[in-house]
Amino acid sequence: MTAAFKLDKAVILERLGGDEEIYTMMVDMFLQDVENNCAALAASLAAGAMPDLQREVHTVKGLLATFSDDAGAEEAQVVEHKVKLGQTANLAEEIATLQARLREVAGVLGAR
Amino acid sequence: MHTVLIIDDSDINLTLIKALVLKLGECNPVLFENPLKALDWCRENVPDLVIVDYMMPDMDGLRFISAFRALHGRDEVPILMVTANDQKDVRYEALLGGANDFLTKPIDRVEFGARARNMLSLRTGQKFLADRAQHLAALVDEQTREIRDREKELIFRMSRAAEFRDPETGAHIQRMAYYSQAIAKGLDLDESVQKLILEAAPMHDVGKIGIPDYILLKPGKLTPEEFEVMKGHARLGHELLNNSGSEILRAGAQIAISHHEKYDGSGYPRGLKGNDIPLFGRIVAVADVFDALTSERPYKKAWSLEDAVHFLEEGRGKHFDPLCVEAFLATWDIVLDIRQRFQDEDAPML
Repeated sequence: MTAAFKLDKAVILERLGGDEEIYTMMVDMFLQDVENNCAALAASLAAGAMPDLQREVHTVKGLLATFSDDAGAEEAQVVEHKVKLGQTANLAEEIATLQARLREVAGVLGAR
Repeated sequence: MHTVLIIDDSDINLTLIKALVLKLGECNPVLFENPLKALDWCRENVPDLVIVDYMMPDMDGLRFISAFRALHGRDEVPILMVTANDQKDVRYEALLGGANDFLTKPIDRVEFGARARNMLSLRTGQKFLADRAQHLAALVDEQTREIRDREKELIFRMSRAAEFRDPETGAHIQRMAYYSQAIAKGLDLDESVQKLILEAAPMHDVGKIGIPDYILLKPGKLTPEEFEVMKGHARLGHELLNNSGSEILRAGAQIAISHHEKYDGSGYPRGLKGNDIPLFGRIVAVADVFDALTSERPYKKAWSLEDAVHFLEEGRGKHFDPLCVEAFLATWDIVLDIRQRFQDEDAPML
């Protein structure tokens, strides 16, 4: 069970050189895109298109890392690796977990 | 202003990288979500820096780099590839495929700034060197042209010096040189060869400089002994010009020693026969004799064109190479134009 997402704005800002404007822009874009990302994960899984699913999971990993969600990004990396190797056991649950993580992060960011 | 091409299928990454590029200053970011469209853009435009994501639909970053590098003139443009920390194998492949450096996700502004600036400095250096090389090449071209022009002028003046000691005129040099070029054209020789014979033919009689005045300027017929001395001008001209570093002078040497040879072997100085006579000598023989016949001299009237043509035709295979005579007559319109352009009163530079 991955620990709950805790926003560490200072770390993110440090990476962005203290630029609040870029930070705000990125949060807005993440919030706008989060449901599209969840839908893309679901669609690739339903179609059984493993290369597409691997790419979508990779994108999610990058998004979570952007907001310093190290635990979420690590979880995504494990799933990405499994997809790459074609290991489909429990895949639906793991994708659902990733979708939930995305929405959780969006919830925290949106509540700022 | 640097043009920075950014390719990433993620909106959020595109926006972030664009913002960071703008913070570098003096940069114009060009964004593409689709690598195929980016590649199309690259066919018409040369960016100063490419920042490309690895994992994208349609074409991944590695394939993009490979296709980009294959475009003409894009082999030195710096490329930064965006990868995750766990993609070491991708990094190796990218390095081998032409990436210059990497950015790790999540992108850190300090790391981004340092790497992007390094790449842009590299690009600035490349452009500086290219501009400098181009500038130097232009300088060399200009100076080479000046040297070549000077060489042509010296050759013309040297040829004139020989002609001043002779009843021949400056216009004769011009006409026979252009006739020689016309024959070379009629023989379908390469344009560079046509130009070479035009520039070298004026030196055909330069050896006359070494012939004593009492023979060269003798108004009457030469004795057999005097004629033997006179014939020496062919070898003298060759000695004067041979072994030069200049292609024109070397061609001039060959013409000087061979333009009095005759196709049937009865010419001088070596009595060469047929194709043993250098082609330039065979060409100049036709041009020189035709102009001498059709020009007025203190000791003779000008022959009519018909008589001169008849002489050439009669001399085919005896005095002249039949192919050179044929080529000369095939360019008759050019011959008439040359006669019109270079009259005996004036002798403009070649």
